[in-house]
Amino acid sequence: MFTTGSKYYFGVAGLGSLGAVLYMVLVNPCDVGVLALLGIAIAMSLVGGVAQFTDDFDADTVSEAVTASASAPAKSMWPLLLALGGVLLLVGMTAKPIIFILGIVVIFAAGVEWALQSWAERASTDSAFNRFVRERALSSLELPLLAGGIVATIAVAFSRIMLAVSPQSGAILFIMIATAVLVVGFLVALKTNLKKSTIAATCVLGAVVLLVSGGIAGFSGNREELVVAAAEDHYSHKECEAASSEHFDKNSNNAVSMKSGISATIRVKDGKLTAQLIGIDTPVQVVTLARSNLTTILFRNLDDAQYRLVANLGTQKVGDTGVEEEIVDCTQMTGKDQTQALILKISKPSASSGPYTLTVPGLEGQEIAVVVP
Amino acid sequence: MSHDSTLTGSEQNLTIFKGMIHSARLRRIGLALGASSAMFLSGCASNAPQDTWQPKGENAEKINTLQWMVFPLAGIVGVLVFSLIGYILWRFRDKGQAIPHQSHGNPTIEITLTIIPALILSVVGVFTFRGIFQLAQTNDTQMVINVTGQQWWWEYDYPAQVVNGVEIAQPIITSGQLVIPTGTKVLLRETSRDVIHSYWIPALNGKKDAVPGRINLLRIQANKPGIFAGQCSEFCGLSHANMRMEAVALSPEDFATWIANQQRNAESPAQATLADEGETVFLNQCIRCHQVNGLKKADGTAAIAAPDENVYAGAAPNLTHLMSRNTFAGAAFDLLTDGCRKNVWSAAPEEFGAVYLKGVIADCLNQTNIRRWLRNAPAMKPMYANPVKLEASDGKYRGMPNLGLSESDIDKLVAYLSTLK
Ligand code: HEC
Ligand SMILES: [Cu+2]
Repeated sequence: MFTTGSKYYFGVAGLGSLGAVLYMVLVNPCDVGVLALLGIAIAMSLVGGVAQFTDDFDADTVSEAVTASASAPAKSMWPLLLALGGVLLLVGMTAKPIIFILGIVVIFAAGVEWALQSWAERASTDSAFNRFVRERALSSLELPLLAGGIVATIAVAFSRIMLAVSPQSGAILFIMIATAVLVVGFLVALKTNLKKSTIAATCVLGAVVLLVSGGIAGFSGNREELVVAAAEDHYSHKECEAASSEHFDKNSNNAVSMKSGISATIRVKDGKLTAQLIGIDTPVQVVTLARSNLTTILFRNLDDAQYRLVANLGTQKVGDTGVEEEIVDCTQMTGKDQTQALILKISKPSASSGPYTLTVPGLEGQEIAVVVP
Repeated sequence: MSHDSTLTGSEQNLTIFKGMIHSARLRRIGLALGASSAMFLSGCASNAPQDTWQPKGENAEKINTLQWMVFPLAGIVGVLVFSLIGYILWRFRDKGQAIPHQSHGNPTIEITLTIIPALILSVVGVFTFRGIFQLAQTNDTQMVINVTGQQWWWEYDYPAQVVNGVEIAQPIITSGQLVIPTGTKVLLRETSRDVIHSYWIPALNGKKDAVPGRINLLRIQANKPGIFAGQCSEFCGLSHANMRMEAVALSPEDFATWIANQQRNAESPAQATLADEGETVFLNQCIRCHQVNGLKKADGTAAIAAPDENVYAGAAPNLTHLMSRNTFAGAAFDLLTDGCRKNVWSAAPEEFGAVYLKGVIADCLNQTNIRRWLRNAPAMKPMYANPVKLEASDGKYRGMPNLGLSESDIDKLVAYLSTLK
């Protein structure tokens, strides 16, 4: 009747339809949930049908499998691992979600391995052939996973090292390691008579060095500057006067905000203030900014003096007090050839308490008008 | 993997090919396929405003040229592959026959079947990349418009600039219908106020996502005056299907007229008219979300909308020139009656500008639609506007709520809105 594989698909299809009916009765007959479940049922019946029609996509084993071996199955560690996964699952439920997820992964992996192993053991009476089908089915899964694991380990260990050492030593270290890898690779490729054990020993040595130094670096923490930068909040020390402030982000040119959603670039050159908009070549003296949306304005200083850009965005009432306060925002002090970003969200149109302007303290009489429609 | 190609293997492959070429059955299948696809195509609507095969501007034409090359090629390959699979599935099905000799690999066939697709793909690739670079060009732009998406409508604002010698002194803000001059390279600077949307007027260019916090550029250009339909093409929540848009192309002279009108403030209706009473209702009910430029409160100060306090996206359509556009609420509903709408859509290019610039005149106002909207907007267009379910959006509406207006208030409002030309 039904082939082994198609039974599974038809089973899922049946469950899907049953689920859909239950969902309709118990939850909501007009919900997308019904559609999703029916979709699963339909897709699975389709796959099941094809599986049935093609004898489980398998020409090799149909006839052979009939004479399935009576030999005892080989020893297997998968049941053990499956049980371990169950334990992780239970522990994770009460302890940490990450252990729970690990449990799911282990159960899934062990389940797949176990199922495929036992399928392969019954594939034919020839155990060599059985091993071959097992490997053919599984190596496509195991090898990428193994490779992914190795790559991830290398990436984590290596990045810990790079975050711990100073940027200069980092660069030198990087070049040295890359050279070493290249040289060793060359040697291995050229010396064809190299013993396997030698290659293995080299790899193990490399892995040990990487893991140990990665571990040390990981425990000793990030380099000083990164720790300081993380602790210090430039944004909360904002002072919009002309005087230079001590909080000064010297590396602002590298900020991510410099690259996204730029509405205008404001330049100071020879004491003159101009604005440039994306798509309009000629400099302008008026910029239009959308209302109620985050907008990035870049401030680029091409003069020797330090400047900051100040946005004057009208006034607002302070609570119900009747007091009007000015809305002002600004960049930090910006040195020659430096760029700073000013991120604004203006929720009132410039017609309300305008005019809105962009000014630079120290450059009197110059301004860029900001229009918020 | 071993590549022990045996004679029997390649012989067998050859028979498959011969069998395929000479099969009379296959020819019959081909005939059936051809006939059914002809039927399928003849079913295509003639009135399909979002048809990607009918470009109405330079950028869309480039895409069209490309798809006229790629589509038939891919079609032929697709039909070949699927028929071959179908044929083999059927021809070699399990009839209880003995399992034939098994072999691995056939270098000749494998290499041929690698080289042919590689060649096809590189030819397609060359033309595709050329197209991509051409479409990304912005350095000869003649006009810039900011396009901002939000659930579930598009806002357009025109920065101060000079277009074809006509100055836009005050920025213009409008929604739903994007008005552009013909023969002008227009750069859209797209962004979003809430989730990702995608701007797409098939007749003028491909689609481009509008992503919060980023500005994406899309160039459009229309050859002749006319109106072109579009559709938000990135799933953006409840009313995604109702998030539509239209591009309206006017001749440069008509465009100048449009610009001049859009820069005017709204004027208050004459005292003691129905529209005047409508203005009062508007000030009580609507100004907290909708801006009408020039509108003054009873004490003579400017009435400023505060959509940032009431709507999740922080914006609601500016209604100053509502009746200059002929659709509303994300271009999903007509402000025009069916007959008047037809006049606009079927107008010849030479007459189009005059027809469009008339706006929504009294006889053409679609009373049913606008009243339904004011009576209960969320019933007309699904929106998150249930006052008791707004925790998720900090107490702000996504869309326009049902304001529970009385029928007499609706009469007054319709009279007032009709003055917003
Ligand atoms: C809580 C905010 C809010 C209030 C109050 C409100 N609206 Fe709206 N209105 C919206 C939003 C948001 C939209 C856009 C909905 C969409 O298209 O998805 C809209 C759309 C509209 C549109 C269609 C505009 C266009 O160009 O697409 C009209 C007309 C309109 N509202 C009229 C009114 C009137 C008249 C009132 C007062 C009775 C009013 N609204 C009150 C939020 C509001
Ligand atoms: Cu959308």
